Amino acid sequence: MTLALNLDRKAQAAAVVHSHGVPHRRVEEWKYSDLKSALGEAGLGAVMAEWLVRDLPAGVELFDLAQPHPPAWVSAHVARPTQNVMNAASLALSAGGVALRVPAGATIGAPLKLDFTGAGHVRALLVLEDGASLTLVESVGVADFRNVGFEIVLGNNARLEHVRISPRDADAVLVEEISLHIPAGARYRGHFAGFGSKLARMELEIVLEGEGAAAHLSGVALLDGKRHSDVTTHVIHRHGNTNSTQLFKHVAAGQARAVYQGKVTVAKGADGSDSSQTAKALLLGDQSEADLKPELEIFADDVKCAHGAAVGDLDAESLFYLRARGIPESQARGLLLQAFLEDAIAAIESTDQRELVRTELLTALKGIA
Amino acid sequence: MLEIKNLHVAVEGKEILKGLSLSIQPGEVHAIMGPNGSGKSTLSYVLAGRDGYDITEGSILYNGENLAALPPEERAAKGVFLAMQYPVEIPGVTTMTFLKTALNSQRRQRGESDLDAVGVLKLVRAKAKALNVSEEMLKRALNVGFSGGEKKRLEILQMALFEPKLAILDETDSGLDIDALRLVAEGVNALRDPARAMLVITHYQRLLDYIVPDRIHVLAKGRIVAEGGKELALELEAKGYEHIVGQAA
Repeated sequence: MTLALNLDRKAQAAAVVHSHGVPHRRVEEWKYSDLKSALGEAGLGAVMAEWLVRDLPAGVELFDLAQPHPPAWVSAHVARPTQNVMNAASLALSAGGVALRVPAGATIGAPLKLDFTGAGHVRALLVLEDGASLTLVESVGVADFRNVGFEIVLGNNARLEHVRISPRDADAVLVEEISLHIPAGARYRGHFAGFGSKLARMELEIVLEGEGAAAHLSGVALLDGKRHSDVTTHVIHRHGNTNSTQLFKHVAAGQARAVYQGKVTVAKGADGSDSSQTAKALLLGDQSEADLKPELEIFADDVKCAHGAAVGDLDAESLFYLRARGIPESQARGLLLQAFLEDAIAAIESTDQRELVRTELLTALKGIA
Repeated sequence: MLEIKNLHVAVEGKEILKGLSLSIQPGEVHAIMGPNGSGKSTLSYVLAGRDGYDITEGSILYNGENLAALPPEERAAKGVFLAMQYPVEIPGVTTMTFLKTALNSQRRQRGESDLDAVGVLKLVRAKAKALNVSEEMLKRALNVGFSGGEKKRLEILQMALFEPKLAILDETDSGLDIDALRLVAEGVNALRDPARAMLVITHYQRLLDYIVPDRIHVLAKGRIVAEGGKELALELEAKGYEHIVGQAA
């Protein structure tokens, strides 16, 4: 019997997990997100989390990874070997997940809604074949602990817009690793809204591997209480004439902690690569914290790379201006926070999804401002 | 309408206003002139309620009410308006959204009902034309990329929209060329009203050629050192501040 997640790959992944152990704050990449302490004695567990696709749009094919006899498009891409410990854990410790495919040339009008729920580990694979186009809306349910290993494979000239919303919760530990391969002419747009939980971490590893490949990432985090949100990205320009942009805006109130770690690598020979990285955070409380760590690694000549990070407070002069025009303080603060986040939200191309994120933000803002 | 008595104001522990007294009646336009560092902006900020301006002595009564006890937004709702010397730029908030939010915030505090988007738009359009504020400006982020003249015109548009009882104009002439100055002054003059008081703060006499005040007060080192009619401006222009300030000292 052929399994979708084959046993050799699972064994390799288990070895990676075994050699690294559960990540903790003395591991450089996990310095600001101590998973080991957040999980406590329960550890990684070995339960399978659940996935749910509501209203599969016409034209999208779905395969349940817990089932035997995967079709060729699953076998070709699923469970690539990885050295990423949590990605490996999701493979080693889960019994299944979901695989989705958009055939070559298909443009799917309706958004594909994918939910992850329940505690444990789960895998996901999304394949967009050559010239296919899709909007993926990923919704992250609350759970004591969940770890999602998500592989996205784009064909030449494929287009994917991905919107992910991570919920506000005091106790949930939510970890996800997304790995993407972007070939010639393909474009990925990812938008990540996070409202913070006990520990929330999303890792993105993106390889731009063909002429004209592009990745545009943007995100907002709005955190209060003791909530945490960590966005860790690694964009690798493996091929020349590729483009990546990143714009992350984070707001932390109370004792919340917002983390952005973004690394851009331009490989040898990837001339003509163009990348930009901007991360900004506003701290609203004496005990709130933002850790912004943009990083560049350049091995090519003739590249254009820009990065910047800034942490600040709401501008007192702007606040006074709004109040002097009759806008009450909490409303004025809300307006300034909204203004701060606006360009990261405006980056969402689909109007429906942009408004969805905006609505969620406005609701969360009422509690924070 | 406005009664300032023996006002002492400190900023970060340093006394800037040192016993300023001033009285303005409805319908009057008063000008405050003074050299740099005399305390002109401090006066405008303390009237509007900016944080960090501590009243250590004296009082400000506005229609019989202790103004200092009110947060800035309540002062605005009660009819105090400060046209700022340096209007702030707020990327991410369109000018129109800002105007609507501000107008309705003031109305709500006065117990009036909100105006809907169409109602606000009509009102704004009606006032914007005379001040040469274009539709395009209203769609842009608040003050972002506006020229000096555009920013000041937008301040006066707000004044026209909010219909304040007491309007304070802080260095409204700064950064304006003569055409822009004339346009802004015409906008201000159109708002002169028997029920409205205005306090025009300026370094230079030229603004007062266009907005002719009923009374001029000269501020130096935190105190009013000279007072008079509109002719005082010409005297200041001719002889300089040193002359008058020196006489008073």
